[in-house]
Amino acid sequence: MGETAPEAQARKLAEGARDRVRFEEEALQLADQVYRVARRLVSSREEAEDLMQETYARAFRSWQSFQPGTNLRAWLLRILTNLNIDRGRRVQRAPDMQPLEEGDYFLYNKLEESTHDSNPDEDRVIDRLSQDDAVSALSAVPHDFRDAIVLVDIGDFSYNDAAQILDIPVGTVMSRLHRGRRILKRELADRAVNGGAEE
Amino acid sequence: MSGFAVDPCDQCEELLQPFLDRELNDEERAIAEEHLDLCGYCRKRYRFEEALRRFVRQAVSEDMTPELKTKLSELRTPLL
Repeated sequence: MGETAPEAQARKLAEGARDRVRFEEEALQLADQVYRVARRLVSSREEAEDLMQETYARAFRSWQSFQPGTNLRAWLLRILTNLNIDRGRRVQRAPDMQPLEEGDYFLYNKLEESTHDSNPDEDRVIDRLSQDDAVSALSAVPHDFRDAIVLVDIGDFSYNDAAQILDIPVGTVMSRLHRGRRILKRELADRAVNGGAEE
Repeated sequence: MSGFAVDPCDQCEELLQPFLDRELNDEERAIAEEHLDLCGYCRKRYRFEEALRRFVRQAVSEDMTPELKTKLSELRTPLL
């Protein structure tokens, strides 16, 4: 015996409600991880908190557009990134066109020079950096480059996920990441050595 | 300066990021590994880079407040 039309409708409603509850629970379980990335995509805690609330409100409204089996954390961050751009909280394109002469060894070399030790180990060199230096150096990296660093190095997203979240080609993620890390190291060196003074 | 000869340490410096990201092809990876076997200067800087990434990730990590967590939960669709 098949179910009647009202029974079928009731079953569908119940299934939909169950799927929605499951979606909301999974999204909330990821909130800590999403927040850690969001916090570094914007400059203040207040902005990050506003964005999180807008993101979750939108995600809960449009949960049916999420494809089960795909990366929910990336989907949430895609919403968050779009909201951030929509709200005009950032200039969308601010490429740093200045030539960057410092290479990848620059920071180590600067820190080593300032340790007054001819052959320090890496941990002693890292100890020259403070948590505040890291936070302020990262926030000094221009947006486009910072977004790539935050998603890949802080959020642990693959290049592909980062490309989808930012809606840019994978090659652009890689080049921004590469350059952004070098800018970050220059900013760290400025802060750690002589408190930002030029040589 | 000869203008053509590539300094092996400069070359190794250029390979650092894609090496740690596991984005090098076999040939480039072999060049980097061969050089790193011989060169303490570069080895030290590669190890530093790994430690630096861990340090930055940890240093900039900030947890959300319990208040925000509550607010997010309240955004859920009420059960009928």
